[in-house]
Amino acid sequence: MDKNELINRLKPIVCNYSQNQEALENITEETDFIRDLKINSANLVDVILDVEEAFDIIIDNESMEKMLTVGASILVIEEKINKK
Amino acid sequence: MIGNDVVDLKQAAIDSNWARKGYLDKIYTSQEQELILEASDPDQMVWLLWSMKEAAYKIHSRHTGIRKYAPTSLICTNLEHSNKAHIHGTITVGQIRFYTKSEIKEHYIHTIAASSLPRLSQIKEVIYQCSPSQIDYKSTSPKCVSHHGRYLALIY
Repeated sequence: MDKNELINRLKPIVCNYSQNQEALENITEETDFIRDLKINSANLVDVILDVEEAFDIIIDNESMEKMLTVGASILVIEEKINKK
Repeated sequence: MIGNDVVDLKQAAIDSNWARKGYLDKIYTSQEQELILEASDPDQMVWLLWSMKEAAYKIHSRHTGIRKYAPTSLICTNLEHSNKAHIHGTITVGQIRFYTKSEIKEHYIHTIAASSLPRLSQIKEVIYQCSPSQIDYKSTSPKCVSHHGRYLALIY
């Protein structure tokens, strides 16, 4: 899966929790879940759990702590998929 | 440094399903999960512990300049009811300790945190039931601001 494909699969997941749909239209690797997409920090857990389900991976705490932006999340997802 | 966090309990109930599989494990330590499951009001305990972690995280991330999503690294301990409406506690992150005081109301929980007990006792809290755009709170130079659902909480 290339980066764009990963972003396109991540988009509907974050869409469920974002309170800024406009920022969602212009999503890039730099997009910050909390600052840009206004995702409530208690809902970041839901994003992580949804990502685990959608990509059939397990995200450990060490990886989870980095997942504040689209780019950082893509790196974690790629790493976990490659390890499967 | 001081920090705060307000949780609108109605909003939290709409936005989050903490009973979802895996949810508690990602945020709470096993001891914290025990507190939640043994509490007479588990919902309230979920959001009490969450607001303690958030209030301490705001101080910690500002101090270190590092943002990371690691809720289980902020550990809630020593929860103690000082009276019916207030709960004192501590949060430890590695070697660092923060002191917290939480106010539990019917519709919200507000936690204040500080790096020392004397500093904690000096904090002045103001809570509005409105959206942040409705009032010019910035001109009052609050030390920390928290907004959730219907509530805006400022500390000085």
